Amino acid sequence: MTALLKVEGLSKSFGGVQVITDVSFEAEEGARLALIGPNGAGKTTLFNLLTGVFPQDEGTVTLAGQVIDGAPSRRRIGMGMARSFQNIRLMPHLSVVENVMLGQQHRRSGLGAMLSPLTLFGRSESWREAEALIADMGLEAWMGETVSTLPYGIRKQIELVRALAAKPRLLLLDEPAAGLNGTETAQLRDFLARISGTGITLLVVEHDMSLVRSLCDRCVVLNFGRKIYDGSTAQVHEDPLVLEAYLGARHSGETADVA
Amino acid sequence: MLLIQQVVNGLMLGSVYVTVAVAFTLTIGILNFLNFTIPTLFMLAAMMGWSFAAWGLPFGLTEPLAWPLALALGVAVAIAASLVVERFTFRYLRTKHGDSTEHAIPLVSSLGFLLVLENLVRIGYGSDAQRFPGPSADLTLSVGGLFFRIPQVISLVVVALIVLGLAWMMKSSRIGRGLRAIAENPDAAGILGVDTRRVVPVVFMLTGLLCGLAGSLFAVNYGEVSPQMGEDIGSKAIAGMVLGGLGSLWGAVAGGIVIGLIEMLTIHFFGADTVQATVWGALLLTLMIRPQGLFGHNAIGKGKL
Amino acid sequence: MSGYWTGIVTILAINVVFAYGIYLAVATGQLNLGGAGFQALGAYAAAWLCFELDWSPAWTIAAGTVVAGVIGMGIAIPILRLKGVYLVLGTFAFAEVVAGLILNSETLGGAMGLPVPAYIEWQVPVAAAVACALLVFYLMATRFGLAVRSVHDDDVVADLMGVNVRGVRVAAFALGAALAGLSGGLYAHAFSYVEIQGFNASLSIYVLLYVLLGGAQTAWGPLVGAAFFTLLPEAMRSFLPAAKEAIWTAFGVTGDISPPDESWRFVVLGAAVIAMMVFRPEGLVTRDTFAFPRRRSPAAAPTREAAE
Repeated sequence: MTALLKVEGLSKSFGGVQVITDVSFEAEEGARLALIGPNGAGKTTLFNLLTGVFPQDEGTVTLAGQVIDGAPSRRRIGMGMARSFQNIRLMPHLSVVENVMLGQQHRRSGLGAMLSPLTLFGRSESWREAEALIADMGLEAWMGETVSTLPYGIRKQIELVRALAAKPRLLLLDEPAAGLNGTETAQLRDFLARISGTGITLLVVEHDMSLVRSLCDRCVVLNFGRKIYDGSTAQVHEDPLVLEAYLGARHSGETADVA
Repeated sequence: MLLIQQVVNGLMLGSVYVTVAVAFTLTIGILNFLNFTIPTLFMLAAMMGWSFAAWGLPFGLTEPLAWPLALALGVAVAIAASLVVERFTFRYLRTKHGDSTEHAIPLVSSLGFLLVLENLVRIGYGSDAQRFPGPSADLTLSVGGLFFRIPQVISLVVVALIVLGLAWMMKSSRIGRGLRAIAENPDAAGILGVDTRRVVPVVFMLTGLLCGLAGSLFAVNYGEVSPQMGEDIGSKAIAGMVLGGLGSLWGAVAGGIVIGLIEMLTIHFFGADTVQATVWGALLLTLMIRPQGLFGHNAIGKGKL
Repeated sequence: MSGYWTGIVTILAINVVFAYGIYLAVATGQLNLGGAGFQALGAYAAAWLCFELDWSPAWTIAAGTVVAGVIGMGIAIPILRLKGVYLVLGTFAFAEVVAGLILNSETLGGAMGLPVPAYIEWQVPVAAAVACALLVFYLMATRFGLAVRSVHDDDVVADLMGVNVRGVRVAAFALGAALAGLSGGLYAHAFSYVEIQGFNASLSIYVLLYVLLGGAQTAWGPLVGAAFFTLLPEAMRSFLPAAKEAIWTAFGVTGDISPPDESWRFVVLGAAVIAMMVFRPEGLVTRDTFAFPRRRSPAAAPTREAAE
């Protein structure tokens, strides 16, 4: 198997505070890789570096054999990398369909595509494609609603659908189960397994260890911006460094997800 | 010599701009709010001061005592008006989605207040300029061939005292620390025990006070008030604030003085009609080349609006 | 139509075009407080070409539109790097610089202004307003419109979704500047005279308020906002003097009571703005105003009820 995503020696500091230090890992095509660690370990920062929200100080990111370090953030989605956000960041004033159509943007950004109507004279191809995807995910009941009026769990799913509309090869999910109840988390698990079945590589930041265990066979653990573990999810709770990171965190009031 | 005299005049004019610019910079620095009622409060204090004096208020006092008290009442009106503005801008600010135009709600409300207050004054007193019955502006002091008008010298001292007092207040007092905490991070300030609902009105009281004093000093120095008097001063003060850097107290001081100098020197060399283009041209260039101004903090005012 | 009504319809049409110009910038989340500057560019370009070179109105107005649009794009590229308060101040400063330069230009008549010999009938501004409204409605229904609204809601995510945020902002701002210029050209010919004092900061404020009051979420906003605040004072033309008389009488003032002047309409506008910001900051017309039935598939509706 070839590595779809290859991260080598990634480092980033903000105003003298080292947030990510020399992080390297790989994710094979089709893998389901979890990225875990105590709060403030640098997981979201790592996502932001991968998607180009900030430039890294050092290191190289390779996606499908192509070095993407210099690529502007808006081009990266077109290279096959889509993401969701820790706090849902859908466009609040757009409808569900419109949000999902935004996911197609990188494939339809020519002048002609930009200036042709989406709905003026009947539904456009973009519109129908988005509707089909939404229906496929069982969310057709919410199709025309304005996002800001929808319940949290639904918005969480729509954000995933939007990322899928980009037809990514690599999906970065930042705490997809946060705020979901047990049933919703189980549904999310099946949903992600289904996505993974279509060949999309998953990189998941998640605190819910039961979800991580049942979804991902491999995980990378970060602590204070450094990688302290990279290996099987089944054995992660036996690793002394990981235990120390979480137990240390427990003393300062954090919850230990590994236990 | 004439040139030096112009520089002196520029400094004097600059001191009025400084006071208003400080009011602007306080609201932007602490609340990230470009308050367009500031020029109106400046005008309101002067116009109300004039009208109180014209009505013979405060009652029964004779000439030398009447006008300072009338002006003090004018300042009080400006502070009251500023607190009303606070009610309708900050109290009701409820951002729902955190998108760009919703953050502009206080700014837009302040534009509304600008229209209401200025036009109410116009309806009440007409659009014409009125002579302010204060002390003659002609009392001059001659030092080495340069003329200093005494009211202006007094104004300069008053402005210097205000700025120093404000700097001390921001740095050392409890309220000042609360204000700085809000400027740093409004949410965290609440957690740290700063009562935003009580501290934010302080900014508006200070705004009213500064604008009121500036309006009074202007009325005394130039002996004339009008409903339009805030527009020009307000523009110059904004220019001064941007030049100095948004949110910086000393920046507003420096910027206000520099704008006063630029104005006087432009008039001296190119004539009065070119002032608008040069002052605003300087401002536009500052924004494009160095938006943080001379002393500004990089982060202020960048928040979505 | 009577002269009174043609006058109102003309100014209404010009305000609608002008408001659409500012709307395009506001729709991307940028408050353009320099509207008067762009309108002045269009008006003076048209006036000068007509007065000096004797061009016909069709060409002068087109030229005014292009001049404002090109300058708008030129200024947008550096100015749109600014955010928040800085951007508001930048656009405001731009309008002041334009006014300052025109004031000092002898070619453009300086403080005296320029006469515009060619006159256009009211039908021309009305046709232009209709065309502008259609254009903006069309644009907002395209993928470009989707990008505009996304940039308004969250520019960081729009960028990550592949939207060229800067490109969309510059395009919307420049096109808006062109429309503001068009409204200026129409103004010059409809009122036969341009005078820089008329293109002041207050005008920039009014037009921005029209847009924000109407609502920036849909293309109906500027139409409703401009119509409301152009027509409202006319509607109050008979009401206000009566009201003033009643109030004065109540206070025991008798005799000749002068009718209230222009200032009242601005008090009403300002009070409406303050009230709107308190009760309905999204503007009069929002997306929820129209529950487009075609967007919700009828078969799906019961499912939704079940889900809730």
